[in-house]
Amino acid sequence: MSPLLFLTVLIFLPTAVALVLTLVPGKGNDDGIRYATLATTIAVLLMTLAMAFGWTDVAFETGESSMQHLTSVPWIPTFRIDYLLGTDGISFPLIVLTTAISALAMAASWSITKHVKAYCILFLLLETGMLGVFLALDFFLFYVFWEVMLLPMYFLIGVWGGPRKEYAAIKFFLYTLLGSVLMLVAILMLYFASDLRTLDPSQLIATGVVSASLTEGDGAAAAEAILSAAEPQHTFNMLAMQQMGQAGLFSKSLQMWAFVLLFIGFAIKVPSVPLHTWLPDAHVEAPTPISMILAGVLLKMGGYGIIRICYPICPEGGYELAMAVCTIGVVSMVYGAFAALAQTDFKRMVAYSSVSHMGYVVLGLGVWSANWQTDYVTGYWKFGMNGAMFQMIAHGISSAGMFFMVGVIYDRVHHRNLNEFGGLFRKMPVYSGMAFGIFFAGLGLPALCGFIGEAFVLFGTWKYSITLAVIAAAVVILTAAYILWALQRVYLGADYRGPHAEGIAPITAREFSIAAPLLALAILFGVLPSLLLDYMAPSVNQTVDTLAEWTEANKPRPDSPAKAENKQADGSLATPDAQAVSLVPIGNEVSP
Amino acid sequence: MLLLANLLTEPVGAAHYMVVGAVLFVCGVVCMATKRNTLGILMGVELVLNGANVNLIALGSPYLRTDSAHLGLDGQLMAMFVIVLAAAEAAVALAIVLNFYNNAGTVDVDRADQLKG
Amino acid sequence: MSAATLLPLLLCVAWLLPLVSFVVICVGYSLPQLAGRQVSYAASRWGGHIAISAIAGSFVLSWFALLFVWLPTHGYTAGDLAHTAGGLAQHNNPAPIYYAGDWYTLANFDGLRLTIGYYIDTLTLVMFAMVSLVSLLVHIYATGYMHDELDDVTDHEVAMSNGEYLHRRGRYHRFFQYLSLFSFSMLGLVIAGNLAMVFVFWELVGICSYFLIGFYFERPTASTAANKAFIVNRIGDFGFLVGLMALWSSLGTFHFGDTQAVDESRPGIFSQLRTAANDYALVVPESMQTEALRGSEGDGPRAGYWLLCVAGVGIFCGCIGKSAQFPLHVWLPDAMEGPTPVSALVHSATMVAAGVYLVGRAYPILTPEVLLVIAVVGCITLALAATIAMTAVDIKRVLAYSTISQLGYMMLSLGLGGWAAGLFHLITHAFFKGLLFMCSGSVIHAVHTNDIRLMGGLRHKMPITAYTMLVGCLAIIGAGIPMLSIGLSGYYSKDAIIEHAWSFTNSNPQWRYQLLLIVPLVGAVLTAFYMFRLWFMVFTGAPRDHHRYDHAHESPRSMTTPLIVLAILGVAIGWNFPFTDLSVTSLLEQATPIGTQATATGLLIADLTIPDEHLSHVDAIRIPAGLSAVAAALLGVLLAAAVYLWRWFDAEELKQAFRPAYSLLWHKWWFDEIYDWTLVKPTLFVGHVVAAFDRHVIDRAVHLLAALGRGLAAVVDRVFDKSLVDGSVDAMATGFWNFGKSLHHLQTGRLRSYIVFIVVGTLATFAVVSVLWKYAIAG
Repeated sequence: MSPLLFLTVLIFLPTAVALVLTLVPGKGNDDGIRYATLATTIAVLLMTLAMAFGWTDVAFETGESSMQHLTSVPWIPTFRIDYLLGTDGISFPLIVLTTAISALAMAASWSITKHVKAYCILFLLLETGMLGVFLALDFFLFYVFWEVMLLPMYFLIGVWGGPRKEYAAIKFFLYTLLGSVLMLVAILMLYFASDLRTLDPSQLIATGVVSASLTEGDGAAAAEAILSAAEPQHTFNMLAMQQMGQAGLFSKSLQMWAFVLLFIGFAIKVPSVPLHTWLPDAHVEAPTPISMILAGVLLKMGGYGIIRICYPICPEGGYELAMAVCTIGVVSMVYGAFAALAQTDFKRMVAYSSVSHMGYVVLGLGVWSANWQTDYVTGYWKFGMNGAMFQMIAHGISSAGMFFMVGVIYDRVHHRNLNEFGGLFRKMPVYSGMAFGIFFAGLGLPALCGFIGEAFVLFGTWKYSITLAVIAAAVVILTAAYILWALQRVYLGADYRGPHAEGIAPITAREFSIAAPLLALAILFGVLPSLLLDYMAPSVNQTVDTLAEWTEANKPRPDSPAKAENKQADGSLATPDAQAVSLVPIGNEVSP
Repeated sequence: MLLLANLLTEPVGAAHYMVVGAVLFVCGVVCMATKRNTLGILMGVELVLNGANVNLIALGSPYLRTDSAHLGLDGQLMAMFVIVLAAAEAAVALAIVLNFYNNAGTVDVDRADQLKG
Repeated sequence: MSAATLLPLLLCVAWLLPLVSFVVICVGYSLPQLAGRQVSYAASRWGGHIAISAIAGSFVLSWFALLFVWLPTHGYTAGDLAHTAGGLAQHNNPAPIYYAGDWYTLANFDGLRLTIGYYIDTLTLVMFAMVSLVSLLVHIYATGYMHDELDDVTDHEVAMSNGEYLHRRGRYHRFFQYLSLFSFSMLGLVIAGNLAMVFVFWELVGICSYFLIGFYFERPTASTAANKAFIVNRIGDFGFLVGLMALWSSLGTFHFGDTQAVDESRPGIFSQLRTAANDYALVVPESMQTEALRGSEGDGPRAGYWLLCVAGVGIFCGCIGKSAQFPLHVWLPDAMEGPTPVSALVHSATMVAAGVYLVGRAYPILTPEVLLVIAVVGCITLALAATIAMTAVDIKRVLAYSTISQLGYMMLSLGLGGWAAGLFHLITHAFFKGLLFMCSGSVIHAVHTNDIRLMGGLRHKMPITAYTMLVGCLAIIGAGIPMLSIGLSGYYSKDAIIEHAWSFTNSNPQWRYQLLLIVPLVGAVLTAFYMFRLWFMVFTGAPRDHHRYDHAHESPRSMTTPLIVLAILGVAIGWNFPFTDLSVTSLLEQATPIGTQATATGLLIADLTIPDEHLSHVDAIRIPAGLSAVAAALLGVLLAAAVYLWRWFDAEELKQAFRPAYSLLWHKWWFDEIYDWTLVKPTLFVGHVVAAFDRHVIDRAVHLLAALGRGLAAVVDRVFDKSLVDGSVDAMATGFWNFGKSLHHLQTGRLRSYIVFIVVGTLATFAVVSVLWKYAIAG
């Protein structure tokens, strides 16, 4: 199977099934529709697992750091917009996470009884959107998928949500839309500043601008056509933009602006304080499976965007604003933890814990410790970035699990007031035991997945900023406090204090089979993080190395002898004319 | 006048038939415009149709049109068609009239003004 | 097989066996529950058997490793420098014999490696032997103590909302499940080959402690105590993390020893800080100076030294939490909510000693300044806890405070440079404190109360418990005959600590350092006083509560056997192995940390000298120190006897006479209240402020923005849409309407007029078309 076909089927299989479902009469077929949807999500999961374990020829190579299965088809040739797909160690674990959480969330959707057909269709569209975001490498395509994912989510919260669902859905939608509008502005800024002529032919092929599937002669001709064009050749190709950003094509002010706009867009998604208030409301109102998806996958898109887009394309902006990014991360961690401490709604507490945990991700991505003060060592930054990536997966597992655990009890007693639980350990021992496991994963207990991410991030942070590292380390106290306090109020004690005590029943086989994989993964990744790192580390390290090289070349030690020359180089890069001068020779090499 | 003079001097041809047809047509139109009685109007309609028929026959006749531009059988077919149409129209119109009479107790078309804006 | 491969293998298996037991019990006993059935009590009993087999395996393997692998390979005299009187080393000592390696790697980026590995020296082996032995005994003891859990339990401490007492199924197997997990975690902590792994197991023992304290989770006090224990520990772990990050960022490794096979370029922490080139003295390495300076100009060595001090104090913070040192000692007394075997194993013998173990393990990292901090904290703790123990009436709380106090002694000793003395006390303390707790458990089992005011005269009813406990009391106060150097285990270890404090004050004659000798001596008096107060109140005199007294009985064999074993060990563990020099001390000294056998002076506090440990063995110190220690203990015993045995003074009158002091001690120096007001409440307050900020500021701002947006939309709607766009459309519509209106007169409804219109219209059309034809189109 060609990568193009495989990846396309991967993305659009849910949509195709959704289209078929529209033709099925909705009345009386609820279970059939549910099973069909579940089967689809499982099929998609199996496809990604097949990639992961090499059961197919479109397999993911674990040692490979560059983009794999890069494949493109022209989509809107006028603006050089391609249907460009590919995956690497940064996106692939998130793709598997997406398909896995989708399958589990669909299995958890049996409690949805209202408009099952519509729900399943939207659910499948959502999965397409999510997979598309992680697979798309064309900025425009990325943006399209980003929006595709937004709409089903809006309806899933707005129709199947709790009492204040409309408020929550609108809030979610507007927040995210604000972010994507800013992102669009940044995309267009970068598009019009980009120029493919500054790349050399090998880069054009490596970035997928010229399709690698062309024969050698055709490829060279296509590259030649781009390079010899008289007018600037704009592109939406992210990989090409990365090359240009690191080569200094984008001016400093452009990079700063683009970085800020993109970062705000992604920070809303992460979400970072102070752009986080949509999250508690959305989670509280969303039905359980949607909360699982929201926390398990959607939040990761923010972190993914930062590592895939913000830093590589705008290194200058990232370097200058690293402290701000890290500070936002730490503030989120502290703020989320404090807020979680004060909540009385179980789901709201878990939502704030997400804010706190995702702060680690932002912090880990931001610790630009390869600078002249540290003699450009990269190891610590690698710990930070790998920790952040690991934390994304770990949080995907643990937070989805936590929301599911809340959902299980909510289905029984129909309330979430932390002060009106108690004694569940006695009545639902297996459920409570699993809940303890998953909540401890969230708490960052060693041997569970949350610990690895948090510890890696902390071990990476000190090298960048001692103050931030110390504050971040202090969050472990607050995390323990709010999680243990909640566990005590919900599970421990002798008596259940709330309403609907008669509804409390042991965990069902279906619920168990959703919680068990999450718990098993939490333990597995906590004990053997290399299982995950084998997939992600090469690409993440590659990103770090590239950025570190960039730093070494562009941000020298202030008192070094090279200072004067570099100052000049810096100055000259800022003017567009000089850019052209410095970049033209590259083009000339291939067009003699 | 000059036209009429020409007609009188020439041998009978299509133009003469057309004059007859035009007279019939105008009679029919005047009849339609002046009669208040529905049946009278219907008669006017018949006159108009037959005026047209005369023209069709005349223009379709190879004897009357010496040039090759005659309609041939087309004209006569068309005339047959109009006759059939006229018969059908008469049947429908008479049914309407009958109904109208049943409802209004008269066949005066000026009384049929319920749809007036 | 050589020792280098055999030792890690043996200890690894010993370490993993309890994990296997945990997994088997945890999963195996959950399956029936998943199927909706209860675990039968017969099956539940098997949980205990599984756990005991596992820990017995660990015990056998650990002792085998020590006795039959280590001793034949390395002997024990090599490290036995303690008693060679003139053996004051002119040079610092190199690294002890150890085996270090990695089992697997968690992550490796640019040579920065996080691994799961081992570091095995005699300290590891002795700790393994001690932990597995005490753990085994506690397991056996627990089969008796937890016997109630093999049937439905009615918990008289928990009243349900309907007024009845809680009635629940027993959880015998769950208890052993947690014990197994704890044994695994504790052994993992001891074998850990690097600081990160220590931290991992540090947290795991913490969570086991959480589960075990909260074993009776239906009791609100138990679950609160469990939370308190974990959260207070996390405060210490925060410091631990800071220390870890500081070391990691400057040295690039967490490994204690050198695992050169894997990583040539980056030796372990110890070798980096104490290189052979510097005669194993603590010298801040280049990388640490760079890290401390971070590109700024400055005094590199001094800045690096500061960083090292930060790292040392940070790691010690973890130890403060785990070992319940001042100011984080508040969790340990509350932790007595757990079942007594837990108190014996986790909260006296092993886990709380982990802090001391870590200080001992990380000893080469610690600068003299950090050591002073450790000593001062230990000193404050031992005094503080001893004073509180004097007034406590809960038998287990007395022992808990006693534990805190003894841990303070250990810390003090380590802080003053008495490495072997401190760790020796750790080992002896594990045995006699384990013994004391188990005895208290036996008493509680018999009289069903913790309050010593309701006991009395019990030695007639339960002689084994009474006299084994007496042995424990004598051991803890350090009873012995100084001139003959014969005594119970505590005598040797406590003596060594006092000797070392004496030696320290000799080296540091400044008056402020004298307190570090005076306080432990006073503490020794207090220790003797509260221990014998406890023993006299429980076992002598007339029964105070006849009902309880009448129902009291000696505990079953499964409980008394461990007591007897521990009592023997409590007496003898300090002795040499018959006819040899082999003793715990000589074994421990084989692991003397690199570069610590020389007098060290401070850099930041210039007048601070940490004396060489061997200086304390000279007779000029040993004899007066030993005499004063025994005198102090004797004084304490006499005081206790005067009040509680012979009743020369009335306890109530004393209480009245010293009312303010008594009240302070009774309320545990008000620590809980102070923390509640200064830490807990403000934290919760901040939490509420933040939550309110979220709702009232950020959300309100968002709503304001939304309202602004809608307002703007309304204005746009009114001004632009309504008047301009709608206006023009409306005007057009109105125009057409009016035009149509004016035309409606043509609609006469008269068929005849329509015909006229048609005719006129047709003619007009023809006319127009013909004109147009002529002039416009054809023309």
